[in-house]
Amino acid sequence: MQETLQTLVGGLSLGAVYALVAMGFSLVYRTMGLVNFAHADIAMIGAYAASTFYLTSKLPFAVAMLVAIAVTAAIGLVIERVLRPLENKDFDLMLIGTIGFGIVLQAVAILIWGTTGRAVRSPVQAAPLDLFGVRVRTYDLLVMAVAALAVTGLAWFLARTKRGAAMQAVAMDHEAATAVGINVGRSNALAFSIGAGLAALAGGLVGPMLYVDASLGGALGIKGFAAAMLGGFGSIPGAVVGGLAIGVLDSYAAGHFQGYSVLVTFLVFTAAIMIRPMGVFGERTVSRA
Amino acid sequence: MTRSTPRPRATTRTTTRAALCTAAALAAALTACSAPGESADSDAKASSGPIKVAVVNAQSGQLSSLGDWEYKGAKLAVDEWNKKGGIDGRKIQLKLFDDQGDPTTGTNIARRLVSDKYVAMIGTAESAVTIAMGPVLQQAKIPNITSGQSDGLVALKSPYLFLNGPTSTTYDSTLAQHLVNDKGYKKIAMITNNGSFGKGEHDAFLKAVKGLGVAPSTDQVVTTDQKDFSAALTKIRAQKPEVIFIGSEEVEAGLIVKQARDLGITAPFAGAAPQGTPVFIDTAGKAAAEGTIVSSPYLSNDVSDATKKFAAAYEAAYGKEAELHGAKAYDGANILLTALKTSNGATGEELADAIRATRYQGLLGDFQYDETGVGITKTTIGVIRDGKLVPQQ
Repeated sequence: MQETLQTLVGGLSLGAVYALVAMGFSLVYRTMGLVNFAHADIAMIGAYAASTFYLTSKLPFAVAMLVAIAVTAAIGLVIERVLRPLENKDFDLMLIGTIGFGIVLQAVAILIWGTTGRAVRSPVQAAPLDLFGVRVRTYDLLVMAVAALAVTGLAWFLARTKRGAAMQAVAMDHEAATAVGINVGRSNALAFSIGAGLAALAGGLVGPMLYVDASLGGALGIKGFAAAMLGGFGSIPGAVVGGLAIGVLDSYAAGHFQGYSVLVTFLVFTAAIMIRPMGVFGERTVSRA
Repeated sequence: MTRSTPRPRATTRTTTRAALCTAAALAAALTACSAPGESADSDAKASSGPIKVAVVNAQSGQLSSLGDWEYKGAKLAVDEWNKKGGIDGRKIQLKLFDDQGDPTTGTNIARRLVSDKYVAMIGTAESAVTIAMGPVLQQAKIPNITSGQSDGLVALKSPYLFLNGPTSTTYDSTLAQHLVNDKGYKKIAMITNNGSFGKGEHDAFLKAVKGLGVAPSTDQVVTTDQKDFSAALTKIRAQKPEVIFIGSEEVEAGLIVKQARDLGITAPFAGAAPQGTPVFIDTAGKAAAEGTIVSSPYLSNDVSDATKKFAAAYEAAYGKEAELHGAKAYDGANILLTALKTSNGATGEELADAIRATRYQGLLGDFQYDETGVGITKTTIGVIRDGKLVPQQ
């Protein structure tokens, strides 16, 4: 029992991070119909930026995170601007373009920060809480709280603000949206920069839990992408459910199948996708490919 | 003015022609090299120009820190030799290839080394990559000094493959003897990953402790890219072990130890080379890594005058503190260069024989290669105290 609960706690805290990554994937996908393959590497840049401002510039962790989010949001804008001429013209090239940007970002990270990564010390020094033998890290609670805030904030933005509503409209039908006077390009740029900001949030938060190096994107990206698929690509609540599900599934698989856990995780994932190809909250209407 | 101008032009023309001739001769000599047999070797000896040595190591990916240390160590040795005038007046040209820690990339690089006529290869730090490259290099008779430590390297039985450190068996039998005989531990837990390094550590340590009559109380296996170890560590915690053997690379081992301390596990960890590195200590955190027992052939930079000198030179060249992997690569490169010197710049089989005949007093100890390609079979036990690896008292 204790083991089951402890595994659940471990899975949920990483799951919250996967959920943030999945949300960024989904936001760009629902708006532009594009899978941004550079997303995971943007998260890696975010993690490096946050750790640099936190460790080297000695800013408070929260401030370092905000600066990192701003930096990566700007990177998101650049990527969108470069790819904009291809929008609605050559979709495959756009896709390959994002893959290319991912490789460039990895190379840039190695140029700036070198090949050796860095460990980030936890900004929360409090000892883990002990709840009936189940230990909960205080930092993990912070991560889950921040992730919950980000989800609520994004949902509010999409449903309640004019800009958010415009993004929803573009997602549904970009031609009709253009006809009613919505600037599709600006809307896409916004989606890209918010997506990048979410990636930085995920990367920055995961830094003290893991180890920051140029390959961090790979670790986050595959699980985050799977989470978005599982929840229903393009759906924000789906991304959250998918992220937590992948995190927990991964932890239990590790406990029961040891060395074969990755195999089991992705077999279960494949089975789930076969039963419900749209994912849990899937809506195919957003597809524009 | 007008008279003097044609003269330099004529000189230029002759130099160009001479250069062309040399290039043609060189090309001919190099082509001759590729043909197998004794005559090729003597041709190579006669040739001048730089001696081409390749360093193959991960410069990107999760193992890039290992690759970086190793390259720095090898480069330091080569730079020192070049400063002294190289080998018989020939400079050593060191070129770095990035294998990304990936065996497929490694084999592609191996083919390039053959076609570009490299004399020898230093690296890689990842046994799986070295094993994948082995057959290609053996066929082309290119000696390889690797930083890998897996027993699989020995099993390859290539006469062109040499290790610059002890094998997993040496590391882990020394460690097992210390834990069981010196410390008297009876309850030993194991956590290893399923990669080539972790698997090798698992098998070597398990065999060693079983040989001493102790069976591990739990044997947990994790994957190489796992991030959450709650399940495995909770199982270990339930067993209340006296010590936990860890067989995993620097970063993952650091995460395991960090998470173990968060889960309230207080037993010390024990492991081989990766657990002595700054990356491991940083990832785990100084407090969490405290008391970790390490089996290593290079405990610290202060062991002898030679290591102190090496550490100072390393610090001066790179502004960073030297550690085991840099020292291993430095030893390995020095052995190769010594062999090149004693054989007067031989290549192929002759160079491999020269390496095997080399007796070398290195930073790790006295190297003396046997037919398996292992030159050193001794490690010592150290403990991490206050974020530093120090010899066991």
